[in-house]
Amino acid sequence: MYSNIVITRQISKIKCLCRSLVSIESQKTPQSGASSDGISPPVRIQRGPTDILQALSTTVGIDPTAAHYKYHDDPYLIPLSNYRKRAYALAAEAGRKAAIWIRDEHADLFTTRIWDPPLRKKTPYYNADPKIEAFSPKPIYNDESKVTEEDLIYTIQNALIEDSIKVYQLLGGSQGVSDELKLQLLQLLCFYNEKEPDSVEWLEERWFSANTRERQAATWRLGSLADTIFTSMEPKSPEAYCAIIQGMAKYYQAERAYELSQEAIEKGIPLSTGVYNALLGCIGFLREGATLRIEALKSTLMQMNEQGLSPNIETLSACLRSISVWGGGIQLQNLAMQLVAEFRELGIQPGLSAYYYLLCLFCKERGPRNNILSKILTDLESRERLEVNEPTDTNFFITAMGVCSDHLQDINMAERVHALLMKNNNYKLVGDAYKESIYYRHLVTVACRHAPFEKATEYLDTLIPNIYIPEPSVMEEIIRTLEVAGAGDRLAQAWSQIIVFGHAKRTKLVERLLSALCNCYEYQEEDVKEKIRSAAESILKHGETLEQRDESRDQRSPVSQKLSATALSNIIELLSDVSDKSSERWTSVETALNKLKQEQATGVPSKPESISTLAEKAASMGKLEIAATAVAYLAECGFEEAAGASARVLGAMLNRPEEEVRALLQEPAGALAGSLHPAALAVLHSYHLAKTGTAIRDSESSTSSESDSESSSDED
Amino acid sequence: MNTSVAKLAQISFRSINFTVQGTPVLASELHTSAPLCRVVSGKYRITKKRDKPLTYEMANPPHYIAHRKSWNSWNTSSLKDGLRRSETAVEDEFIRRFMTGTWHGLVCSEVIIKRQFNHIRVAAIMRRAVSPTKMYFLLGYTEELLANWLQCPVTLELQTVDSFKDVVFKYI
Repeated sequence: MYSNIVITRQISKIKCLCRSLVSIESQKTPQSGASSDGISPPVRIQRGPTDILQALSTTVGIDPTAAHYKYHDDPYLIPLSNYRKRAYALAAEAGRKAAIWIRDEHADLFTTRIWDPPLRKKTPYYNADPKIEAFSPKPIYNDESKVTEEDLIYTIQNALIEDSIKVYQLLGGSQGVSDELKLQLLQLLCFYNEKEPDSVEWLEERWFSANTRERQAATWRLGSLADTIFTSMEPKSPEAYCAIIQGMAKYYQAERAYELSQEAIEKGIPLSTGVYNALLGCIGFLREGATLRIEALKSTLMQMNEQGLSPNIETLSACLRSISVWGGGIQLQNLAMQLVAEFRELGIQPGLSAYYYLLCLFCKERGPRNNILSKILTDLESRERLEVNEPTDTNFFITAMGVCSDHLQDINMAERVHALLMKNNNYKLVGDAYKESIYYRHLVTVACRHAPFEKATEYLDTLIPNIYIPEPSVMEEIIRTLEVAGAGDRLAQAWSQIIVFGHAKRTKLVERLLSALCNCYEYQEEDVKEKIRSAAESILKHGETLEQRDESRDQRSPVSQKLSATALSNIIELLSDVSDKSSERWTSVETALNKLKQEQATGVPSKPESISTLAEKAASMGKLEIAATAVAYLAECGFEEAAGASARVLGAMLNRPEEEVRALLQEPAGALAGSLHPAALAVLHSYHLAKTGTAIRDSESSTSSESDSESSSDED
Repeated sequence: MNTSVAKLAQISFRSINFTVQGTPVLASELHTSAPLCRVVSGKYRITKKRDKPLTYEMANPPHYIAHRKSWNSWNTSSLKDGLRRSETAVEDEFIRRFMTGTWHGLVCSEVIIKRQFNHIRVAAIMRRAVSPTKMYFLLGYTEELLANWLQCPVTLELQTVDSFKDVVFKYI
């Protein structure tokens, strides 16, 4: 802290100190270079008020373990799914809007800063000292307000469309307003097409608004206020013509724009570069067929040249935008490359929008592979800063990453794109939340598919869950990668991640996870196996809670799908791998098995041998009912393994070798009924069911000759 | 509860200040002083059933300030050449009432107010009684409204806690 200490003595010492400080300071600054004569210090660099803070902030990198700073730093308030991220940010902004509304409604209460008694008030209305524009109430215009031309200037400067229209009408329309103000209002209305733009103040709204791509359809309002103002202006100045033509062209009212431009040229009114840029964008509406359109493009450029207007960077991107919309094909591609080369000769480097359109044109998904992206990246990496000229610049990075992922399938290119995005201040070029999620979706997909496993896990660890939360399709991709690499630990974690991200209701995803867990189960270590088992149990319980919730809601059609039989059999297989007889896993196994038996699962298991292994294991563990149920289920479904399985299970239950068991099974069933344990009896039932396709009771009631014939038809 | 008692001092008799125009200005200023009524202020009576919950702040009487407790309001107005002493005190009281009213029934601790240059940081412990979306709405609303009222940037630094029981220090 610098206090106002006045040094009255030892001025000479202070002078030496200051001189040395100045020279030290200037020695530290690299930009000014060496001093001119070696003795006197170089010129001091002027620092802004926040320069030191900015320099300090560049030394601090991103912390991937922390949530975005717009979220409050508290475990209850940190969002962990896409829905919550959006909800929390927009809720905070809604609160801010409410506060601003209160401030503007009761403007007389929010104008003081010093709470003085009335005697001390310095000015009648506003005595906040200093007056801070950001905190002062904004005027509201309605039918009773008294307005002057200054209000119109204020609303036009701040791009408040509805307010400016209101003020204009209050001032008396076309008669009461001066010409230059009319021109300014016309420019404002043409730029925004009389629709209120998203306010600059509300950041989160703009960030989360999934801007549906503006359809290339005529949306200009015919006969609107802009048209009336234009017609009322006499004489029509060049700026007015430029404004209205550009506005119409921007909103795809192509014919009117073209007519007006021809009118202007006939009258000899000079038009600006911007007008021609806008007209270049409309050519697609006026002509059909690639050749005609190319001719029209060239003729417009020639016209521009005749008028003596030099093209700029927007001309290039307007041309390329039109070309990319007209489709593909060698002709258009060659034209695009020609244009880029010519503009480069003129000294105009293509901007990010131009590169975006080039990528659209060349790297179609099903087209031949094209390496234009690497040249583009080399050019962009060599530039010091990436400048933003147009709103479509934000599309470049997501398209580049999409090309890396779908078209090129190259991880090195993807890393180059990502490094370019992270350099300096370029992260703002990612656009809005929707574009950011698409960008990271492509990045994670290409990393999972084509990068070595360590690199992929590095990306996953840094990005999830704070920077990016994967959608269900990307989650499947991640599960597949983890399965291939055999990372059982991470797969077990994936289940808890699925719940947190809110994807737990997607049965397909859960089943995919289960099959992945089954596939890589055997190669894991013991503690990882334990984690996998608890994950499987949790999945089962989660399915049950979902079903209960559905029932309690009493809906006509159940919201959540039940787990399929394959999934249940996977769960059973995983859970039954315990060596401990009294583990609670067996109860879960029983629950799952009962579900299967009672046909609460869709379909049939794709791997019935897992159920037969379960049956044998259960029998050897002494869980006879489980074994019996399993075998009965197999028999009912009609699997081939049922017979063999039931024979083995019976052997395990009765603790006799296999030949004895077979002999037992040959005998008529009635004789054994009394002497066997009920579970063993059930196994016997299912054996016969499997063998003969009918239940034992029927065969008992039949004559002995039938049973003989049945036993003779045994395949064993 | 534990802010020191504000004392109104009327200096009209001792030094009547005359402004340039000659009208007398009554210099009524609010002073912040050492706690008065030291026997009863800031102390809680023991109940028969011994079930009145006290937070750590409530449990330590005022003579423990700077020993076991610290202040609830941090600003430079009490230093030499410190400015705006009375206005700061009034603003603090406004902020405290605003917080208690807006986050009604959710504030579990004292509201701490720290001023650094013109940045006001308001801290408190809240209960998790409402959903996070509602908390974010109140957060944005409070920050914006207080900033516009006090004409300085205001940030809220909240901590959430499961229930009031988590901040109870002892039962009296």
